[in-house]
Amino acid sequence: MPTLDPVTLAVLENRFRAVVEEMGEALLRTATSQILNSSRDFSIALCDAQGRLVAQADHIPVHVGAMPFAAEAVLQAFPGQMRPGDCFLLNDPWHGGSHLPDLTIVLPVFDRPRPDSDPRPAASDHRDGRSLVFLCVVRAHQSDIGGATHGGYNPSATEIWQEGIRIPPIRLGENDTLREDLVQMLALNTRIARDFRGDLMAMWGSARLGAKRLEALLAGHGAAKLNAATDAILDLAEAHARRIIAAWADGTWQGEAVLDDDGHGAQDVTIRATVTKQGGALTVDLTASDPQTLGFVNSSWPNTVSAVRMALAYLLDPEVAKNDGAFRPLTVLAKEGTVVRAAEGAAVTLCTSHCSNEIVEAVVKALANACPTRAMGGWGRRFRIAIQGTDPRRAGKKFVWHLFHARPGGGGHATGDGWSGAGEWHSAGGLKFGSVEMAEARFPLFFRRHEFLPGSAGDGQYRGGLGGELELVVETAGPARANTAGDGARHGAAGMLGGQDGAPHHYRLMPAQGTPRDLRTKETGVPLAPGDVLHVRSGGGGGWGDPAKRDPAARAADAAEGLI
Amino acid sequence: MQAPYRIGCDVGGTFTDVVCIGADGTTLLAKAATTPDDQSRGVLDGLGVLAGMLGLALPDLLAQTERLVHGTTVATNALLERRTARIGLLTTEGHRDVIEMREGLKPERYDLRLSPPAPLVPRRLRLPVRERIRADGQVEQALDEASLATAIETLRAEQVEAVAICLFHSWRDPSHEQAAGAAVAAALPGAYVTLSSDVLPQIKEFERFSTTVVNAAVGPIVATYLGRLERRLAEAGLRAPLFVILSHGGVAPVAEAARIAAGTALSGPAGGVAAGLALARAGLGQDLVTFDVGGTSTDVALIEGGEAALGRGRVVGGERIALESLDIVTLGAGGGSIAHVGAGGMMRVGPRSAGAVPGPACYGAGGTEPAVTDANLVLGYLDGARFLGGRRSLDLTAAQGAVERLGTKLGLGMMDCAAGIHALANIAMADGIRVATVRRGVDPRGFCLLAFGGAAGLHASAVARDLGMARVAVPLLAAGLSAWGMLQTDLRYEVSRSLIGATGLPDEPAIRALFAELETAARARMAEWMDGTPAIRRSADMRYGEQVFEVGVPLDAVDWNAPGLPAQIAESFHRRHEALFTYALRGEEVVLVTARVAAIGRLPALPVRELPPRPPAAPVAQRRAYVAGTVQDLPVYSFTALAPAQKLAGPAIVESDTTTVLLLPGDTAWLDARGWLEVAVGAG
Repeated sequence: MPTLDPVTLAVLENRFRAVVEEMGEALLRTATSQILNSSRDFSIALCDAQGRLVAQADHIPVHVGAMPFAAEAVLQAFPGQMRPGDCFLLNDPWHGGSHLPDLTIVLPVFDRPRPDSDPRPAASDHRDGRSLVFLCVVRAHQSDIGGATHGGYNPSATEIWQEGIRIPPIRLGENDTLREDLVQMLALNTRIARDFRGDLMAMWGSARLGAKRLEALLAGHGAAKLNAATDAILDLAEAHARRIIAAWADGTWQGEAVLDDDGHGAQDVTIRATVTKQGGALTVDLTASDPQTLGFVNSSWPNTVSAVRMALAYLLDPEVAKNDGAFRPLTVLAKEGTVVRAAEGAAVTLCTSHCSNEIVEAVVKALANACPTRAMGGWGRRFRIAIQGTDPRRAGKKFVWHLFHARPGGGGHATGDGWSGAGEWHSAGGLKFGSVEMAEARFPLFFRRHEFLPGSAGDGQYRGGLGGELELVVETAGPARANTAGDGARHGAAGMLGGQDGAPHHYRLMPAQGTPRDLRTKETGVPLAPGDVLHVRSGGGGGWGDPAKRDPAARAADAAEGLI
Repeated sequence: MQAPYRIGCDVGGTFTDVVCIGADGTTLLAKAATTPDDQSRGVLDGLGVLAGMLGLALPDLLAQTERLVHGTTVATNALLERRTARIGLLTTEGHRDVIEMREGLKPERYDLRLSPPAPLVPRRLRLPVRERIRADGQVEQALDEASLATAIETLRAEQVEAVAICLFHSWRDPSHEQAAGAAVAAALPGAYVTLSSDVLPQIKEFERFSTTVVNAAVGPIVATYLGRLERRLAEAGLRAPLFVILSHGGVAPVAEAARIAAGTALSGPAGGVAAGLALARAGLGQDLVTFDVGGTSTDVALIEGGEAALGRGRVVGGERIALESLDIVTLGAGGGSIAHVGAGGMMRVGPRSAGAVPGPACYGAGGTEPAVTDANLVLGYLDGARFLGGRRSLDLTAAQGAVERLGTKLGLGMMDCAAGIHALANIAMADGIRVATVRRGVDPRGFCLLAFGGAAGLHASAVARDLGMARVAVPLLAAGLSAWGMLQTDLRYEVSRSLIGATGLPDEPAIRALFAELETAARARMAEWMDGTPAIRRSADMRYGEQVFEVGVPLDAVDWNAPGLPAQIAESFHRRHEALFTYALRGEEVVLVTARVAAIGRLPALPVRELPPRPPAAPVAQRRAYVAGTVQDLPVYSFTALAPAQKLAGPAIVESDTTTVLLLPGDTAWLDARGWLEVAVGAG
């Protein structure tokens, strides 16, 4: 191994970050579906030949800790069998994926051919004797992945086969060409083949751009130097993370967080984390969590590990590089057959939201004892609604509209109040809701009110952020239908260290004719009629610290601002 | 006699640059210290310096000035420093939190302990008015006079200086905003009143409201400042019009800049892009990357095919301004960027900056950490005795000490550490340019890197090499190029209007009526500013049915007199989409969201003077500098003494009073008679 001078190391570290950032820009610019190009529900990672996460662009936190599983799954499925120009694809949660809607492309990057004079084989050698150095990993949420219902989220599902098409690691392309027969088979199994093909091309293009940049770096520096840089970058991040963790109190603590239900009769599904902090190391033991459920709130193992890593990333300094090194201090334990490590075949689609959010919250609660000024009050839960119907202004034209408005609040923390309307643990202000005016112009919906919801925040020395209130009037041509998918209508975002919980979600259907009723978080086929009003009141963030210690001036300001 | 002088004046963080073009094309650059408390003093000081250079008294210079174009950072600074006006917002009942919701987005994904920014208008001054217009223009709820009166009473009691009026769907029907605006103006004489339907009559409430609120927040400040400047200049003898360069790169009279004050947020950097456009026209080439390296940051913009792209995604001081503005990307690396060991143990350059005070260690004003400028001094690229033409001397010992201290922490010798700082600054700049070009779907390798600002010449060749760019150009006027660019641009007035229905394209009469209405408004405005006929440019923001992002589609190639206008416009969109994203969806519904018209009033062309032939210049000095891993003696040439076409071979240094260019081994360079140093970048 060559030793690297600090300048070369810093140059290469910058380069790796620039490569993933550039890949992200390329994907954003070329993706077809709205979920990618508007909501940015995708992530990019660079892994090394051992599948270790080297660099990532700051996209969706719940993806990031899961990406190395995809790289490892491909490495295991094709040991020593990759070649330059290959393209691999997967989505299955028991084969490197998190849940089916997230499609992942893995593209190998090789060193230059070794000269004939140097025939020694290496552990990382692949089919034609060239040495694998990197894997470009691109993960993107699809607007549809087949299965029983449109859009991937199926509260009725009780097994994964009802949730969409399962793809183990497959060689989708060779010699810089995708296999059209495979692409066609996959596209046929989704409802919007055009978006599927467009997004797949965009993902592949992004990965190929990354490979091109890395090949140029390899030509300039050689594989040995880049591998040495990778080792050093990961070691520095590990040392950085351990330095921070070492300053926290040692001990063992419990934290738990509760889901309302699984939609199939299981109530108060509980995540239990026992966290042991010793020196610079952390063990998060989730084995005491509830058994797996029939409904889709179960988590796949990669998603659970990623959720724990996300919690750790939130508690460390934002400057800590999010790579394999930073996560080395962490050991995650869970028992198969529990809600946090469902056995193969379970329904898991909601897991990137639920139970991810609860896993994060349980871990933060436990660690609030070790690092109180770093812990934050709970961020919101996700409760989505999708409406299908027809627009009276566009005869016969069907539409599907997804609720991203009236977002829940973020948690308070030791340095201030929470963000209002910034969303859930799993996205933390990274998902945008669209223009209300544009929604009114394009959909038969009327937004009578869309504001912060006073009183929704959890009180505390620093209060949570506010949730939102939406009064949405349905103006479809004739009857329409709504599906819901989410959680948090009974359990609000947790208060931390004496802070109070945020208000839970409260969604009501106010029919033009008939009796108002509460909407449940997991319903399919809710009939809607023109004139019906959906009254959405989303939860606020959890408070931090004893409410009695809140600065009276801050209370007075909240009162003047009409927030409480 | 025709007034012979045209003057451009750019207020930067440290210096106020004044560029004057005389009747024979002679161009002069004067510099004065910027006066942050009242920028107009620095402007007058700079004009005084210029008058001295011309051997004239200031009143005589101003009396002979044909036009004065000004770039100001008053609005930008107010936003960055949160010193904005006390404002109130009148908005549709049920929607008072639009500007604070920020579409659900929060910056810094992994910083959950980041506190939300205070909105420009606190919630208690975001006052609901009972009224509601629908997306199709129907009035759901008429404007309720009582609720309006209540809100105005609150505004009066709170003694606001400015009022933003932002109502739902005012892009469709501005009548409620206009009625509310009239009531506020009558009740609060002296307040700065601004309507969202005036500032940005486009669908999408967050962009429109945020832009209008920014306009109210900076409007009174910009109006006061420009009024004072105009008065001072008149008192000093100026009789010609004062123009202000706006974020879109065109200029406008003072009254317009005060009316749409949010449009001055990029007033300064816009001059650099205008200069790039002028140099493209002058023969530098149609494809340029402008590269302006300043003290704390580097501004980058693309000129493709002789045109600069406009965008509407600008954020200044955390506030969204959705007016058309030049697509300038700001990178956090400049001469003042500080090198340090990051929290993770990695060597880093920036984003922290030494700023103007204390500045780099070599300024001797208390800075102890090494900045990029310190490294450049240690490496021998700068002459400490002659920095800025001798206006400031640089303390080499202080720079060496700062670099050495960092080197010790990293286990690097002083020279290696300085070279590392220089290299990391180059990498940050090159990577920033690469990401900016990919974002626009452009391969930078065929582009020329136009380097300006005081420090760009030291980094340009290395950055170009890294990006695979073969050409670099450094103008003689590099340090005052933005001020020069302000003289090279025309009057511009932008007007836009959304027209979106539930279905795709409006029918032909509706499209014609919309564009005709915009054109009439644009011509009327331009007629107030100048005599003569303006050029009209049409464009539209369009997308496919289910898409979310609109694409700006130029409609200059559309034959407005031919039939089948909607089909022609749709085809223009398909082609644009194809060019940007490699595919078009010709079977898909096409939606026209916003129509745009720009009226461009050409200002009289300026005289150009080519540099006269002269004998080749010999090096004026030798300097020991660290290049390619060793310390060697480099020839130093005087930029202003070079003869046109005189060839130089790198490694060498070319310097003037205000800028220094480092030529690397393998580079060849020559002075173009039109006023720039052309560098053919070496391969190594």
